[in-house]
Amino acid sequence: MRFRTIIQFISLAAFLFLLVTVATTAVGLVSPDLYLCMDPLIVFGSAISGRVFLVSFIPAIIVVLVTIFFGRLFCGYICPMGITVDCSDRLLKLKKKKGEGMPYLYRLKYYLLFIVLGSAILGVSAVFIGSPLSLITRFYGLVIYPVITFLGKMGLDLIHPVVDHFEIYGLLYADISSPRYATIFFVLLLFIGIFAAGKINTRFWCRYLCPAGAMLALFSRFSIVKRSVSDACTKCGKCVRSCPMGAIDKNSPDNTSFKECIGCLTCRYVCPVNAIDFNIKMLKIKDNPDFVPERRAVLYSGVAGAVFASANLTGLYSVYGKPGVGSVSPKELVRPPGSRPEDDFLALCVRCGECMVACPNNALQPVWFARGVEGLFSPSLVPKRGACNPDCNNCGVACPTEAIRPLDILDRRWAKTGTARIMREMCLAWEHQKRCMVCDEVCPYSAIKFRSEPGNPVPVPEVLEERCSGCGFCEHHCPVQNQSAIYVTPMGAVRLNKGSFMDYGKSQGLNISLEHEGKKEQSGAGGYPGESYPSFEGGAPGFEADSPGFETGIDSLEQGKGELIHEDGEYDIAPGFTE
Amino acid sequence: MNREYFEKMDRLIEDRLSRRTFLKYQMKGLLFLTAASSGLILPRKVLAEPLPDIAVVKGEAAKAVRAAVELLGGMKKFVKTGGKVLIKPNMSFPNPPAMATTTHPDVVCELVRMCNEAGASNILIADYPLFDTDTCLKRSGILDACGKLENTRVVGASSDRFYKDTEIKDARKMSRNGIFQEAFKVDTLISVPVAKSHTATGVSLAMKGMMGLVWDRSGMHTKELSSSIVDLCTVLKADLTVIDATRVLSTNGPRGPGKVLKEDTIIASKDMVAADAFAVSRFQWYGKRYKPAQVKYILEAHERGLGRMDIENLEVKEIQV
Repeated sequence: MRFRTIIQFISLAAFLFLLVTVATTAVGLVSPDLYLCMDPLIVFGSAISGRVFLVSFIPAIIVVLVTIFFGRLFCGYICPMGITVDCSDRLLKLKKKKGEGMPYLYRLKYYLLFIVLGSAILGVSAVFIGSPLSLITRFYGLVIYPVITFLGKMGLDLIHPVVDHFEIYGLLYADISSPRYATIFFVLLLFIGIFAAGKINTRFWCRYLCPAGAMLALFSRFSIVKRSVSDACTKCGKCVRSCPMGAIDKNSPDNTSFKECIGCLTCRYVCPVNAIDFNIKMLKIKDNPDFVPERRAVLYSGVAGAVFASANLTGLYSVYGKPGVGSVSPKELVRPPGSRPEDDFLALCVRCGECMVACPNNALQPVWFARGVEGLFSPSLVPKRGACNPDCNNCGVACPTEAIRPLDILDRRWAKTGTARIMREMCLAWEHQKRCMVCDEVCPYSAIKFRSEPGNPVPVPEVLEERCSGCGFCEHHCPVQNQSAIYVTPMGAVRLNKGSFMDYGKSQGLNISLEHEGKKEQSGAGGYPGESYPSFEGGAPGFEADSPGFETGIDSLEQGKGELIHEDGEYDIAPGFTE
Repeated sequence: MNREYFEKMDRLIEDRLSRRTFLKYQMKGLLFLTAASSGLILPRKVLAEPLPDIAVVKGEAAKAVRAAVELLGGMKKFVKTGGKVLIKPNMSFPNPPAMATTTHPDVVCELVRMCNEAGASNILIADYPLFDTDTCLKRSGILDACGKLENTRVVGASSDRFYKDTEIKDARKMSRNGIFQEAFKVDTLISVPVAKSHTATGVSLAMKGMMGLVWDRSGMHTKELSSSIVDLCTVLKADLTVIDATRVLSTNGPRGPGKVLKEDTIIASKDMVAADAFAVSRFQWYGKRYKPAQVKYILEAHERGLGRMDIENLEVKEIQV
């Protein structure tokens, strides 16, 4: 087995391992977004469009430095997209499609690169159009992982009757959770296209489309480690035909396009006379016969990027400037907790899907055009699918560009995603006078107040907006099908670029906590049975006001004189959720 | 289904003949006592006193559980040698036991020990939690405390695969639902809820607790919750009910946090309705006292013959340990 194959295997395994630890919310030693932060397009593109630089961006700097000295080794050995494409090329048995490609098509990736950069300068992120790490993370995280877990789940379903009959307890109660995601058909079709394009040329994506590869290509022009060909060369052309990137000039095999070379060493491997080697050599710039994008082409691409950005900035959902009168926000788009204000959020979000994989409740879903073209595939909170645990900040930790900010636990509860709203005409209690109160049962913030409504025999719920954090447990569990009678609207969401969510929330009159305090609408909840309890007309909630005709003689039964042992107070760990 | 039918018949007969049987047993007992004291017969079991309908024990959790079940005749009355047991506690919320929203692990563990002593071959502790399964099973303390005991398994029944679509005969509202598969395969069903208030139904006790063994709970609310609960209990009738009132969540149930009263009480009965009715009348809810008939599902269960809520007519034995 070749050295390179081993390295590629390890790299892909590491990438998938990190992805699985994120999906199973296991805590790892290495930051889960390591690979995403190695992608130079993600880092440079986001740094420009988001006007930030983060410590987590350093891996990409290292990748660029390595490229400057050694060429596109990242592409040849590390990039999971490249490795996946190599695998699919091999499976499709495309030996004949190696070698020389279509010269003009090589330019396309540079144009795409400058479109992204041109757009970034105007503050609009188009990184998602071509970032290989973003796409490959979505491929493995939102398509492959769910499919595999789903097959596992289906397997358990199929063997269930047998397992049940023989009472194999280990399997009888085993369960595999399989997440669900929107937009997966798009990712699937895109990758089928990328793999199928291997029939035209191997590494089609890397040669012609990858803007990250284009950026690294530009940096590798001056690489000091280069391919060199000795005089032993017989011009048999074997290296030309076996180069996966088509980087060797077919007319003179000692000529290499250093920008396209990924250092895979295949040519050295196949040369029948061992004429090829890779060593340090300084080349004068004018000796370099590569295609270098002309200044004009660069300019035109940049302008195209700027035009793309402008179209977004003048679209209906434009995020330019401070939101105010005339700003149109999508009515039902709820963002993950800790998201920056929408303009910064969209400028930094690279649509990698890492937050969606990280969410333990499968609550985050990519959107289509809910936020226009600019918001394509960005994450939204869909409470009906999953709600937001008060102590969970996985999305913020996973996000490679901090479009979703990582927060400490206490601050995180104040990262209000929106406010729940009850549609009374659909509510079982309000409209149909049926006993329900599931929203109250499941609300971690005690933000549902119950009261009695004249003419209604059952207790009815109301939302206490200043206590509501928008977590969506109410919407998630509401028994009303298709559209929950209580649902989270983005109204009142708190989204900050910096500073404490708690301080801001308190200054706005919010009162978000997991404890249940005496609410002022109900008489003060005293500490002891002798003092007043929250008053509720007609008796405690859930009881019938009148007891029809039964003598129970309760006075003859001993009364429970229980002393109060536990007042509701602050808990170190939220009563309810993962530590 | 046969089991339920015979039990229903038993209950009807018992209801009609309670006073007569009482007297009959008294007479029998008297004869035995006389015979025994005169040395003629040495009975192994004293049939003089009938077993109480409801056993109430105040004291430390595990001791109280043991005493309560002994008062009802001992676990052997409910678990046969080699029998399979399904224990239904409340482990539905990811809260620590102090919050009184879940059954105390000490109570569940003691029941497991008693089942093992009675010769059970297999004990399953199951509930379908409202929140993340692993977190709930862990935070309630029941997984760690009881999972290690002999012949015992603690399961969060959170996949639809574990439920069998079942028709419920004579249902008023809920004519079918997915019922937890093990419920039909076990010999004994023990309900061990924690005593707590509930915003919709007033209280959440043994009968309400059966909702942890059913798949479609949303449907129960949209149809009509109280009737659906009673419908459910016609097929999921506990053989033994042990209500964990060591601490009572008196307000803001079922999720809390709320006022937790220290009651140190265990209430046990063969009759789920009677146990629930007793717990309702014994404790304060939101600082007030309530009658069992003020809980709609208890009233309906009584009317439909599932059990007795007129606890003043039942035999209640209370002791302290």
